[in-house]
Amino acid sequence: MVATEVPKLASAAEYFFKMGVEGKRFRPTVLLLMSSALNVPIRESIADGVSGGLSNELRSRQQSIAEITEMIHVASLLHDDVLDDADTRRGIGSLNFVMGNKLAVLAGNFLLARACILLASLKNTEVVSLMATAIEHLVTGEKMQMTTTSEQRRSMEYYLQKTYNKTASLVSNSCKAIAVLAGQTSEVSMLAYEYGRNLGLAYQLIDDVLDFTGTSAALGKGSLSDIRHGVVTAPILFAIEEFPQLREVVDRGFKNPADVDIALGYLGKSCGIERTRELAKEHANRAVLAIEALPASDAEDVLSTRRALIDLTHRVLTRTK
Amino acid sequence: MYWRWALSRGLSSAAARFHGHGRFTQRFSHAAPCGGCLGRSPWETRSKVLGCTETYSLGLRGLHDIRYQIHQDSSSRAEEPLDPFSLVADELSLLANRLRSMVVAEVPKLASAAEYFFKMGAEGKRFRPTVLLLMASALNMPISQSAADGVFNTLSNELRTRQQCIAEITEMIHVASLLHDDVLDDADTRRGIGSLNFIMGNKLAVLAGDFLLSRACVALASLKNTEVVSLLATVVEHLVTGETMQMTTTSEQRRSMEYYLQKTYYKTASLISNSCKAIALLAGQTAEVSILAYEYGRNLGLAFQLIDDVLDFTGTSASLGKGSLSDIRHGIVTAPLLFAIEEFPQLSEVVDRGFDNPADVDIALEYLQKSRGIERTRELAAEHANRAVEAIEAFPESDDEDVIISRRALVDLTNRVITRTK
Repeated sequence: MVATEVPKLASAAEYFFKMGVEGKRFRPTVLLLMSSALNVPIRESIADGVSGGLSNELRSRQQSIAEITEMIHVASLLHDDVLDDADTRRGIGSLNFVMGNKLAVLAGNFLLARACILLASLKNTEVVSLMATAIEHLVTGEKMQMTTTSEQRRSMEYYLQKTYNKTASLVSNSCKAIAVLAGQTSEVSMLAYEYGRNLGLAYQLIDDVLDFTGTSAALGKGSLSDIRHGVVTAPILFAIEEFPQLREVVDRGFKNPADVDIALGYLGKSCGIERTRELAKEHANRAVLAIEALPASDAEDVLSTRRALIDLTHRVLTRTK
Repeated sequence: MYWRWALSRGLSSAAARFHGHGRFTQRFSHAAPCGGCLGRSPWETRSKVLGCTETYSLGLRGLHDIRYQIHQDSSSRAEEPLDPFSLVADELSLLANRLRSMVVAEVPKLASAAEYFFKMGAEGKRFRPTVLLLMASALNMPISQSAADGVFNTLSNELRTRQQCIAEITEMIHVASLLHDDVLDDADTRRGIGSLNFIMGNKLAVLAGDFLLSRACVALASLKNTEVVSLLATVVEHLVTGETMQMTTTSEQRRSMEYYLQKTYYKTASLISNSCKAIALLAGQTAEVSILAYEYGRNLGLAFQLIDDVLDFTGTSASLGKGSLSDIRHGIVTAPLLFAIEEFPQLSEVVDRGFDNPADVDIALEYLQKSRGIERTRELAAEHANRAVEAIEAFPESDDEDVIISRRALVDLTNRVITRTK
């Protein structure tokens, strides 16, 4: 996949695809499950041989979507780490830390280009549009994070839009692409999109909670990396609604560690954590509804993968890391 | 060269066509606004193009009147001055302004650096987009003549818009690569452009470049042509590969002409060749014609870079050492030196030392002076320029004036690339 005549570029691009650091492969898992969940033949009368051939080709195209999505995701990670001055990622040194900012940026561009070439080879312009939109949203999300005004930082609406851009758009648009490739109707494609969108949002909201709580239920045991980087997330935003005084603290930024403690104090008194969990649950439920609205099928594969997709929504809520 | 070629295409029929002056007006009234990739009506830009074309049509009529004198070789009157850049200048400045405003609106911090990035290229002109728009006109051959004028003009406006979009996308990719290649600190060689990095910083450079690339992706998707998507995505891959090649060369590779030409193709020629091909594909041209367009772009790009390499040594004078010498000072070994090494193998030791020591720069310049490095580079550039001309001459014939003029302009560009002094 990343064969290239320039060894340094190859090793940079492959960096996060090596064994052990592929990450949880969350997105490809969702997408492959979605492929099976939507494996509802359009015409029952197609001879098995032909159908088998066609379905192999379809499966291979859907696998390409999973590859493309992962490449886009890693490309965005490489660039984000440069923007955040991150030292580590997935338990090892970040690529920018190991090979320098420039090579990390170039490697990200390389992955993006390869993803687009693979995307073009699917010869489906709607799918190209969907993934191009996801790419644009990723950049918009990162820009939103880097260039917020104080007012925007305090806005739940802005935060949710940013979260959609940075986290949910990629998985929702690639779910939709899976459906489009399968020749599904636009209603079904929208259901796939809604599943991805709500799952992605639920995932991020719980991520925000875990940054405060870590593996324990108690506050302040998480890595607190968001707040320390001045990133204001849902729990704090909910807490501000209950304690307007917290707004001033937030506006100061969190360069002063004492301010972090003050904010944690307010957060502890507020329902911020609980309300975030509730919102995550709401989105998880909507994801389940989307799956339940898919066209009925008796096929085992289809049933078991739909159950798996529903199971994923639970795991997203109950995970502790 | 150009007037001879135009004659061979049947000047009289071209002049006869000109009497369909009303046809130009017709295009105005049938223009249908279509969403361009930056969301505006092509109608304004199309009328500007036609405005320029009319000027040249008048020139052609003058040519027609003296047709009979041409046989008596009065070449001075037949030599109409041709400026390729002004043929598309109005159309281009609309594109450029829109691009600049869009970028500055989305990434305001880029405003102070915008001038650097959207600056004029060689000879103060916008080289790449000029080539692309001229190529679009040069390949503007209707598939079926019988299409009603109304339908045809709508289609041709829409095609023009799509081709303008390619020019915009190409600029977005080019500027993104400037931001990512030139502004970012290059830890090993410190080639980052110091002053710009100070104004912008790494983060803004990364973000702004990403923004441009993502906009380019969306614009590409809107063209609904997956082959074009593939071509331009390949360009991005090549740009990255070329830059990485430049960052990570071994000594042996630095001395290799083959490696250098490959890197030059990736960094300079790929963008223009693949976007020329995209222009042809959008116009519905055959694979053969699309490859001719590609070959024009590739050879033009290579010729351009080779002359660039020479000028870095000679500057505006013909003599050595008056150029900015920026390549050699950054340790970048270009064609003139590579040719010189072939004549003076001792030079390869000097090259291997890198050029941190200014004394080594002087030594290298001496060898270069004694060698035929500069001349051979110019010769190679001329060879590529000729191949570019051959590609244009191999295009399917057309009697259309726009087409003929644009092809002349493309040929003229190859001359300008070779003869420019800055």
